Amino acid sequence: MSARSERNAWVLGTTAPALVFLAVIAYLPIAYAIALSFFKKTAFNPAMTWVGLDNYRYILEEPDLWRAFWRSLVFTLGAVGLQLVWGLVSALLLNRALRGLTVVRSLFVLPYLLPSIVVALVFQWLLSQEYGVVNQILMQTGVVTRPINFFGGLGTAMWSVIGMAGWQYGSFATLLILARLQAINPKLYEAARVSGAGPLRCFFDVTLPNLRTTLIVIALLRGIWMFNKFDSIWLVTHGGPLKATETLPIYAYRLAFEDFDFGLAAAACTVMFLVLLVGALVYFKLFDPTREIEVGR
Amino acid sequence: MTLHRRTFVKTAALAGAAALAPQVLVRTARGADKNRVVFISEESNPKAIAVYDKINADFEKQTGIKVAMEYPGFANIAKRVATLIAAGTPPEIVWYGAGQAMNLALENQLADVGDVLKSVGGVADNLRMVYKGADRSIPTSQQFTYGWYRKDLLQQKGLEPPKTWDDYLKVAKALSNPPQMYGCIVPSAETGASTILLETMFMKNDVHWFEWDANKKQYEVALDKGDQRKRAIETLDYLNELHKQSPEASTFNWAELMSTFVSEKAAMSYYVGARLLEQVMANNSRIADATAPVELPRKLTESYYLSIQGFHILDKANVEGAKKYVTFFLKHPDVISWYHAVPLHIIPASRDMLRSAKYQDHPVIQKRMDVLKFLDSVWTKGVPLYYWDGKELNPYIGLFHNENLAGWMLAMRNIKGMKSDAIVDEAAGQVRKKMRRTG
Repeated sequence: MSARSERNAWVLGTTAPALVFLAVIAYLPIAYAIALSFFKKTAFNPAMTWVGLDNYRYILEEPDLWRAFWRSLVFTLGAVGLQLVWGLVSALLLNRALRGLTVVRSLFVLPYLLPSIVVALVFQWLLSQEYGVVNQILMQTGVVTRPINFFGGLGTAMWSVIGMAGWQYGSFATLLILARLQAINPKLYEAARVSGAGPLRCFFDVTLPNLRTTLIVIALLRGIWMFNKFDSIWLVTHGGPLKATETLPIYAYRLAFEDFDFGLAAAACTVMFLVLLVGALVYFKLFDPTREIEVGR
Repeated sequence: MTLHRRTFVKTAALAGAAALAPQVLVRTARGADKNRVVFISEESNPKAIAVYDKINADFEKQTGIKVAMEYPGFANIAKRVATLIAAGTPPEIVWYGAGQAMNLALENQLADVGDVLKSVGGVADNLRMVYKGADRSIPTSQQFTYGWYRKDLLQQKGLEPPKTWDDYLKVAKALSNPPQMYGCIVPSAETGASTILLETMFMKNDVHWFEWDANKKQYEVALDKGDQRKRAIETLDYLNELHKQSPEASTFNWAELMSTFVSEKAAMSYYVGARLLEQVMANNSRIADATAPVELPRKLTESYYLSIQGFHILDKANVEGAKKYVTFFLKHPDVISWYHAVPLHIIPASRDMLRSAKYQDHPVIQKRMDVLKFLDSVWTKGVPLYYWDGKELNPYIGLFHNENLAGWMLAMRNIKGMKSDAIVDEAAGQVRKKMRRTG
């Protein structure tokens, strides 16, 4: 055996356990879910019946699927947009040399460390129509005459959920943006100032171009995570009222555990997976993140 | 060390097999183990768990069969059972609602338990669940859906406990003083609380979702036909009137239904069983004595929505061990403590037991004999949803009940403001569409 073959065998031998583990833990369930989408399978019977593309035909004709898809887009764009704005503003504020800033920075990260159930309960209490502090303040200051039903109102539920997700996950953006801000060469700002640039011009001409890569990466990662987000929404609204916050993951969950139709639920999940796959491909085509990161260096 | 490619492939294949082997072994072992039964119980109250522990220890001592317990809770038990079945490792026994268990019966997953019923003294006819000519459920307890009201508030206004639709609306209006106090609670969301309210009120107004077609020997959707449609619309409109005396309740689940009453924000509410009273006693004893049961208002019938809980034995694993256990459990002297775990909420399936000195020998029951008398007075009026539309077991109830379709109807009427006739027609259409899919 040549040295090269021996080396290849070693590489394969040492990576094999991890690859097998990955295949069993990650790829096997994906393959199983995709396979399941071609079967009729109720939750209460292990037997499965081959139905070909019937499950896809059924859900693609369902207006509920498209409505859920649209809501997923609204939720994703709203929540990611809010996280980017929140992350950018807070990172700019934290990127200063002030006393006690380390403590403040830690406090900003706190929401990201909280379990979703804690955040959901806190927001439910804060925004409760009956007992919520926010409604109390709004009523006492005369801003509103009747308490607002934040999570239960048809027009307010989605925005309330977006606000909650924006608050909780904005800290992730803060962390990444702050790290990038601190890596920007101060000489760039000096040069800009010498050229007569004010703070706003410095922001648009120096800060923002340097943050471009980071913002794109955050948008991609958070976009995928928000599109797949289930727990935060489920905990506060269960997809209601009247499906106003029923996104694709909740739609698929309902098919599986309320209709107990695993085949249809698997088809819905596969559709979701394909949507994300197409989104990711478009993203890579448009932004080419590998090149972006190289430029960012 | 030299590693040939062939060796690598073999190693990888072995590693894969090793990763999959435990799952296969678990399935095989569980199916073959006659000295073990897996029991999943919906009741996870600490007092009930203590009784299970005691009885299970006695059972193991006597038979050598170990009972492995799981308590996934009310909200998750159906999912837990479903995932275990899907994984090929079904439990032997599940204690939960017979309505949920019916889904298992329809998939031929439940064993015939007629012999167990016979050995424990039989069961009342309205509590049986019969599928393909055999009993599939061993009822232990039941819960009626009924109202709770504040006696003190009604007395202050000189009002009598309401009985009819008109009475109930009148009392709700008289007691309503929002946002401090609401006359009643009409949850209007796609939740179990809303769903059971509308399903109960449909029963009170003799509305049927289905009718039995004797020629085809199957159920057909009836909700949008003739008098059913008229009465369904009437019921929705009535609940819309009531909703005006209720908090908006567009997110209300069972917990919110209770907390609104316990925190003295509503004068009348309802619940499945007496857990609401238990919560009042635990969290606001000041109004406990003034909290009294009342029938949800009647229109054409006095029927009560009846939930039945019991043991269900799955047909795929250690059936004999499971039957032995259930018989042992129901004959064990400590079973009475199990009924006392949430007194007056888990009420026995047997009326004789309800009336027995042994059952009534509990401080809460002694203190609230009015509740016991109320339950005794409605004893024969309960109807489970799967027998509401006819004498044959209705296999289609899951198509509207599991999805909280009735809750959706209430939300469309009370929150979105859609007309009742359009809601009824759309709901019937949805059920028909699902029937076509399920075949």
